[in-house]
Amino acid sequence: MRESWRRIRAVAANTFLEAVRQKVFAVLLLFAVVLLGGANYFAEFSFQEQFKFLKDLGYATISLTGLLVGLLGAAQLIPAEIERRTILTALCRPLRRWEFVAGKYLGLVSLLGVMLAIMGTVFWFVLRWKEAQLIGVEGGEAAAVQAIQAEARDPRLWQAFALIAAKLFVVCGLAVFFSTLATSTTFVVAMTLMVYLIGHLQSVAREQWLESGEKANWLLQAFLAGVALTVPDFTLYALIDEIVAGNVVRWRSTLEVLAYSAAYVGVLLAAAAWLFEARDL
Amino acid sequence: MSPAVVTQQLRKEFSLGWGRGRVLAVEGLDLEVRRGEVFGLLGPNGSGKSTAMKMILGLLRPTSGRAEVCGCRAGTLAARRQIGFLPENPYFPAFLCGAELVRYYGRLSGMGGKKLEERVEELLSLVRLEGEAGRRPLRTYSKGMVQRAGLAGALVSDPEIVMLDEPTAGVDPAGSREIRDLILELKRRGKTVIFSSHLLEQVEDVADRVSILHRGQKLREGRLEDLLTQTAEWQVRVRGLSEAHRRDLHGWLAQHGGEVLEEGSPRERLEDYFLRSLPEKERP
Repeated sequence: MRESWRRIRAVAANTFLEAVRQKVFAVLLLFAVVLLGGANYFAEFSFQEQFKFLKDLGYATISLTGLLVGLLGAAQLIPAEIERRTILTALCRPLRRWEFVAGKYLGLVSLLGVMLAIMGTVFWFVLRWKEAQLIGVEGGEAAAVQAIQAEARDPRLWQAFALIAAKLFVVCGLAVFFSTLATSTTFVVAMTLMVYLIGHLQSVAREQWLESGEKANWLLQAFLAGVALTVPDFTLYALIDEIVAGNVVRWRSTLEVLAYSAAYVGVLLAAAAWLFEARDL
Repeated sequence: MSPAVVTQQLRKEFSLGWGRGRVLAVEGLDLEVRRGEVFGLLGPNGSGKSTAMKMILGLLRPTSGRAEVCGCRAGTLAARRQIGFLPENPYFPAFLCGAELVRYYGRLSGMGGKKLEERVEELLSLVRLEGEAGRRPLRTYSKGMVQRAGLAGALVSDPEIVMLDEPTAGVDPAGSREIRDLILELKRRGKTVIFSSHLLEQVEDVADRVSILHRGQKLREGRLEDLLTQTAEWQVRVRGLSEAHRRDLHGWLAQHGGEVLEEGSPRERLEDYFLRSLPEKERP
């Protein structure tokens, strides 16, 4: 087991290193940091509106950058290794194929984790910066200061952050799954993006499937069932919008979504490993 | 002791997909490679050499038949622990330097710590990539350097068997000679080397035994000496014979029923001549 973990870590570290040494990810990160930092200059409303604007823009920036990182990272996964034949020199070693798949996923998720941590830290500093600015404007009145601090230091922000990370980790899981089937990087990126978009309609398909009964066309029913049973429900992550809008979201609901994400990633990786096991290289 | 590699009736068919049928790459291949020998798989492009190698490595599943590596079923972890592999025209992660590449392959083989670091240094020195060369990104390497770095990666776990798929493809004569010398060095160290090539001269220089493949089937197999020696003819190279004695020799040969088939001064092989023409410090 220890040896297995060592091999997975080696694949993950190599995947991470490959991504880090590419300029595209650094440029994306720089773009996100500039956008997050610059957000402070855009808002000229009441302090509640300013914080809402900051959070809206901040989370949108982090989500979009994370999605791009996941998709671009996915392009470097297994199809690129097959195209370049680097996979042959890796898999001819005493490395199990599932270990390779797990390592690839962990490498991609590590990259995403580091980028999210950097963006999260920048976002935290921007909020504290805004807090200091607004306290200066409001003149130190106790009630106002308290209200501003409550907005800037809202612990629900970390709740939203955890949900964004979980959503992006599911996207990475999809990318790894498609990369075990595909022969081209374009296919992986296109399929991952397509399922990501369909995932935002999954709940609609599920309701339609459950309500359609026997009167519906069997082909349509099969399609709806396929979407409902296999595509991840990305509408669950709408809790992020609730948090940004200032609504209370219970930790229990958040943990349920995190558990759903973990289970979905587990199933995706197991399926990816199973498919990859039978693949001729 | 079990042979290094055994294949029995190994067969591989590839599906062309979308109902376009199947193509047969290897058919009924029986091989036995003994431990410690240099074994050449010969054949033109498309003869099934790489496919056979990949089945032995466990990268491809045979359609039927079986392959064993040091007594273990091909493709199992135990079998793969015994093999180091350098594919044809390898492309290694260009973002790594030579030392990082060897270290990565060492980690994939379950190695780590000081032992791995020492092994990396030792191998880089063996393939003449020590010092600054080992710290340069692979994208700055020449083709020959890439091959040598790949060979170091293949050897990192000290495997019993080293498999090289067209190791000199696209490499200049100097690089080619270096790889040949490395193969001979591996043999000296007691390793089994299996390599494929369609460059017959190179095979002749290093292989103990060869198997000739054509359209997925084995045509011939045996020791080079047995395959190439023409026992019906006899050849002699002479130095210092005068013109008069040469005429005498011709007469004597004719008198005893011998027919002179070829005569003249021996020619050096172009590869040797080329290498001799290089400045001394640049010769392999």
